[in-house]
Amino acid sequence: MRAEVKAAAAADEAGAAAPSAVVVAGLRKSYGPAEAVRGVSFTVAPGEIFALVGPNGAGKTTTLEILEGFRARDAGRVEVLGIDPGDRAAGRALRERIGLVLQDIAVEPYLTVRETVARNAGYYPAPRDVGEVIGLAGLGGQARQKVKNLSGGQKRRLDLALGLIGNPELLFLDEPTTGFDPNARRDAWETVRGLRGAGTTILLTTHYLEEAQVLADRMAVIAGGQIVAEGTPSAIGGRDSARTRIRFALPGGCGLADLPAELADLAADAAAGGGLVTVQTGEPTRTLHQLTGWALRRGAALGRLTVDQPSLEDVYLRLTEQRAPETGRAPETGKERSPR
Amino acid sequence: MSIATHRARRGDLALLWHQVRYEQLSFWRNPQSAFFTFLFPVVIITVFGALLGGGTQSSYFYGLSALQYYVPTIAAVSVLGSCYSQLAIVLAIRRQHGILKRVRATPLPAWTYFLGLLAHCVMVSVVDVALITGIGRLYGVPLPTHWAAIAVTLVLGAASFCALGVAVASLIRNSEAAPPVVQLILFPLVFISGTYMPIHSAMLNRISGMLPVRPFNQALLGPFAQHTGFDGKSLGVLFAWGAVGALVAVRRFRWTPRPQ
Repeated sequence: MRAEVKAAAAADEAGAAAPSAVVVAGLRKSYGPAEAVRGVSFTVAPGEIFALVGPNGAGKTTTLEILEGFRARDAGRVEVLGIDPGDRAAGRALRERIGLVLQDIAVEPYLTVRETVARNAGYYPAPRDVGEVIGLAGLGGQARQKVKNLSGGQKRRLDLALGLIGNPELLFLDEPTTGFDPNARRDAWETVRGLRGAGTTILLTTHYLEEAQVLADRMAVIAGGQIVAEGTPSAIGGRDSARTRIRFALPGGCGLADLPAELADLAADAAAGGGLVTVQTGEPTRTLHQLTGWALRRGAALGRLTVDQPSLEDVYLRLTEQRAPETGRAPETGKERSPR
Repeated sequence: MSIATHRARRGDLALLWHQVRYEQLSFWRNPQSAFFTFLFPVVIITVFGALLGGGTQSSYFYGLSALQYYVPTIAAVSVLGSCYSQLAIVLAIRRQHGILKRVRATPLPAWTYFLGLLAHCVMVSVVDVALITGIGRLYGVPLPTHWAAIAVTLVLGAASFCALGVAVASLIRNSEAAPPVVQLILFPLVFISGTYMPIHSAMLNRISGMLPVRPFNQALLGPFAQHTGFDGKSLGVLFAWGAVGALVAVRRFRWTPRPQ
């Protein structure tokens, strides 16, 4: 069924590249005087996992809720599977094709897990198998338990099951692993990867960089209501072309001035943090050779020697600190009346 | 859209029935709703019956016996409970907890959700009214003869009070405020409308006759005990209130929780 749908969509494009699953262009949204989203643009290709990463109040949830049709936008173009989520007449057709795993939501406390999933299955034209989805969400042992007796983590997994039951082409995950312990988080990641493997497009928000690094094909960093960087987790923010960082402890009795001239020049702008000298270089092989050659000639050891690229966290902190919102914190969930 | 509509949707009625079944399940599993909404009026009429017995007819009860009077008014208050109070409180709680937002995240159309709630409330009301009538029979109250008028009044009343319940839920800001606000509106209204004691003040009756509860009492009292059929005037007032409730509900209802 899904393959036919996709083939049909592709045919519509008359052989062009597959249309984007999500298109956001120049999106704006204010809550009173506070601009929460200030001209956000990005696209999500079919079949990829796209992560929207940013600090609290950056505009992640607002952006996501506009895509999901929960909020009206002030300006900009938004398409989800070719449908404008602000178009109420198309709302049902859109919701039949997307799955949502949201924050701050809940389900009836007195129904069992199985009843809850079966009820929602009845809302979709081509749902997945109820038992299979419960198993996929890791709730196989709790199928007959009432929702009110589930733990917080189990409720989040039930939410994932409800997001999947309609067999969506596109799944929205709003901070899907917040509050999970490390094991549960790894299980959830495995499930998400499995979904991508089956052809589901996934748009997730997270403030765990590790999550974006591990899961996302592409990611965008949002801060102060604007996208400040976009790319693959390994290349975002110029990470791949950034200078390599070499850190080491100077051998006892040596100062910076004792380093070979070329190295000392590179280290001149390096800060000594935690007793470590940092050297940044665009030619790591050559610089490292000079450094270790120098140490060997002196018969000294370089303690705590590390060589690395800037971590995603380094890049993220640099990006989000630069663009801290100037007009105070925009509320992540606004105070305006809901559009629906 | 053109793509999605090719997938077979289940029929509107099948979807509605699916929804009603799960509303019923949620309702009966919840001890609070099952007891306070459903059983409370049954207990009241049983107690009234034990206290007042079959009794003799009196002018205080408009020429009826006490229980002949109370069967329709307690039946009416049971409908108020299972439609107005129950809906206003349940919807406020569901919204606050994000249950409504979860519903909104699915393709279930809003009208199916509300029609499902309405059908569920009518079903609970019908069972409640039947039980109350049955208990009245045990105390010697004759069964009513105008069933068609009762059925129409019941459905119209249930629909109107559901609409008013949704309207109040739309105006209440948080779920903690829901039960007191709901009762604060209902209690004086029920009291001046002759539900628990007949009111013989012409002025009070004129006022309460323009509010929703007394017309509903009157519209049930006629076919239940006084061998009259449809009470057009009362049904008209009831319908008008239902329309006002529906208007407020449509304009003001919110699905998403208020941010903390």
